Amino acid sequence: MNEASMIGMLSTTVSFGALLYLACIGELISEKAGVLNLGVEGMMALGAVTGFLVALNTENPWLALLVAMIVTAAFASIHGIFTVVLGAEQVVSGLSLTFLGLGLSAFFGKSAVGNPPGAILSNVDWGPLSDIPWVGPILFQQSPMVYFAILVGLLTSFLLTRTSIGLALRGAGESASTVDTAGYSVVKIRLAAVATGGALAGAAGAYLTLSITTSWQDGATAGRGWIAVALVIFGAWKPGRAAIGALLFGGLLALKTRLQTFGVNFSPILLSMIPYLLTIGVLLIISIRARHRPSASPSEIGKVYRREER
Amino acid sequence: MKRLVLVRREQPLRGGQPLSFLIGLVVALLAGILLLVASGHNPIEIYERLFNSSVGSSNAWAKTLNRAVPLGLAGLAVAVAGSMGLWNIGAEGQILAGAMMAAWIAQIGEGWASPLLIPLMLIASILGGALLASGPGIARAQIGVNEIITTLMLNEVALRLLQWLIHGPWKDPESRGFPLAPLLADEARLPKLFGRAHWGVIIAFLVIAFFGFIVSRTTWGYELKVAGSSGATARYAGISLNKKIITVMVLSGGIAGLAGGIELSGTSDRIVEGVSGGYGFAGIIVAALALMRPSGVAAVALIFGAVQVGGLSIQTLGVSSSVSTILQALILFGAIGAGVFNRYSLKSVKREKKGGST
Repeated sequence: MNEASMIGMLSTTVSFGALLYLACIGELISEKAGVLNLGVEGMMALGAVTGFLVALNTENPWLALLVAMIVTAAFASIHGIFTVVLGAEQVVSGLSLTFLGLGLSAFFGKSAVGNPPGAILSNVDWGPLSDIPWVGPILFQQSPMVYFAILVGLLTSFLLTRTSIGLALRGAGESASTVDTAGYSVVKIRLAAVATGGALAGAAGAYLTLSITTSWQDGATAGRGWIAVALVIFGAWKPGRAAIGALLFGGLLALKTRLQTFGVNFSPILLSMIPYLLTIGVLLIISIRARHRPSASPSEIGKVYRREER
Repeated sequence: MKRLVLVRREQPLRGGQPLSFLIGLVVALLAGILLLVASGHNPIEIYERLFNSSVGSSNAWAKTLNRAVPLGLAGLAVAVAGSMGLWNIGAEGQILAGAMMAAWIAQIGEGWASPLLIPLMLIASILGGALLASGPGIARAQIGVNEIITTLMLNEVALRLLQWLIHGPWKDPESRGFPLAPLLADEARLPKLFGRAHWGVIIAFLVIAFFGFIVSRTTWGYELKVAGSSGATARYAGISLNKKIITVMVLSGGIAGLAGGIELSGTSDRIVEGVSGGYGFAGIIVAALALMRPSGVAAVALIFGAVQVGGLSIQTLGVSSSVSTILQALILFGAIGAGVFNRYSLKSVKREKKGGST
């Protein structure tokens, strides 16, 4: 293992980690408000194909990112309306959203398969910072989406813990009737949280096609949406812990393609099981602890709130 | 100012669910027309092909029935867990586990006669699925771990295990580098019923009928529903919740595993990555549309089977097979949307002066 391949792996760790983190924070916001959305994989795919198609037609990567986020926010709102307003089961609606997202992205992306990108989000040049050995290539020669992900994480952490909006949002997932009594609309909070979650999953998808793969093909998201769902639990619904998890899972994704070059004789396929097994392990620990103190998981997740039935 | 609110009906509308399902189907087909026209296709030509290739001939029916088998069994697996209020999102992984176990038995039993080998393969597939589902069942019963997440995660674990097998130990030496397991011996393949339709159709029908009877007509089934609607009531009635949870998850996993064994032995003939074909996830939609009732599962699975077979056939007309995926999701959303009116009616009320909306 030489220096260049080590730097390459750490740099990929950060970029994959940021991709997972964006989608994870979206899901975290939604779950905090009480809505489990298993549509992440589909939303990510739709964001990926929308971003790629808009970039192809306008050659403007920023417009592509923006449109991808708006489209997936609207797409996620299908889940929002069905579960929050119409009271459908969150598990079923979310999985159908994944189906729909994967189907729509394959349908509309068919013409774009094999095309070179219309535009890409090129790496940010931080001047002298980018030239620092090791640190420069790993942290300061990344796609703008990496810095966006960090910003989103910090902002979400601040909003959730320090503001009244965050309090209301957490309340919608912990005790909806209390939030209602305090004069907030539970329905509006939850709808907004689901749409925000969709926008961030879409941003993660657009990041994939505009910076990482710079191409579109069916199944481009390759299960990363499911890893993002796992990451929310791994991070115990906390943005800070999720960031550590994102780097860990991102590192595993980066390591997967490099095991051979590092001379390690271990199947990369078995390596990719680790995030899921770790998540199950963390969930077990959280559940055992929950017997003695309040659970980390939002208590009203999955429940429909109807004022007249409280 | 007036606004519309949803008011709960005292009783759900009778026969509302089949009607909602029908509305969902119509909504999906109409949305499909829009999608096809927007992408420059002739919707009539495509729907005609879709219809003919799925139910238009005995050959088409054979394909549809074969598809309905894993869909119906996966749907049943989800419905059995769902009748107790549990979510088995892991049918996809349990199908894979079942297929892997059946393939393993087929390797061990090389040269055995079909009447011995095939039943053993199917039993092994049931055990495989049951084993994979038992962990989430025990964790839920003993520690209260959310089974949605554990079963979901185990899907990915089972998939990686299968990928590892077909890239390594089970790789067919004659596959020219493709990740495939060797073809099953003829003795390990389910006999045909008619045309391409195999005996799995009968097995699946019997299993669904059996569980339909158990869940709706026996004390055991009644206890499930009680336990599902209220844990406190169940405890008061002396029903052991923990035991029920584990039993139900193991049964649910076993049913999904059987789907994997039948799919391997009847249709796919070898272990490939796509042997589970997304049936585990589609099964959740099937069960939801059947309102978690085993009796409804068979009918919904048949229609989904037809949509999937039709979806594959329209590829030759230059349409992406993803149309069928889109249609399946739209059927569900359409049916849920319509289903709301089974339980709620729309009333127009005067807007309150203060306070938020409901």
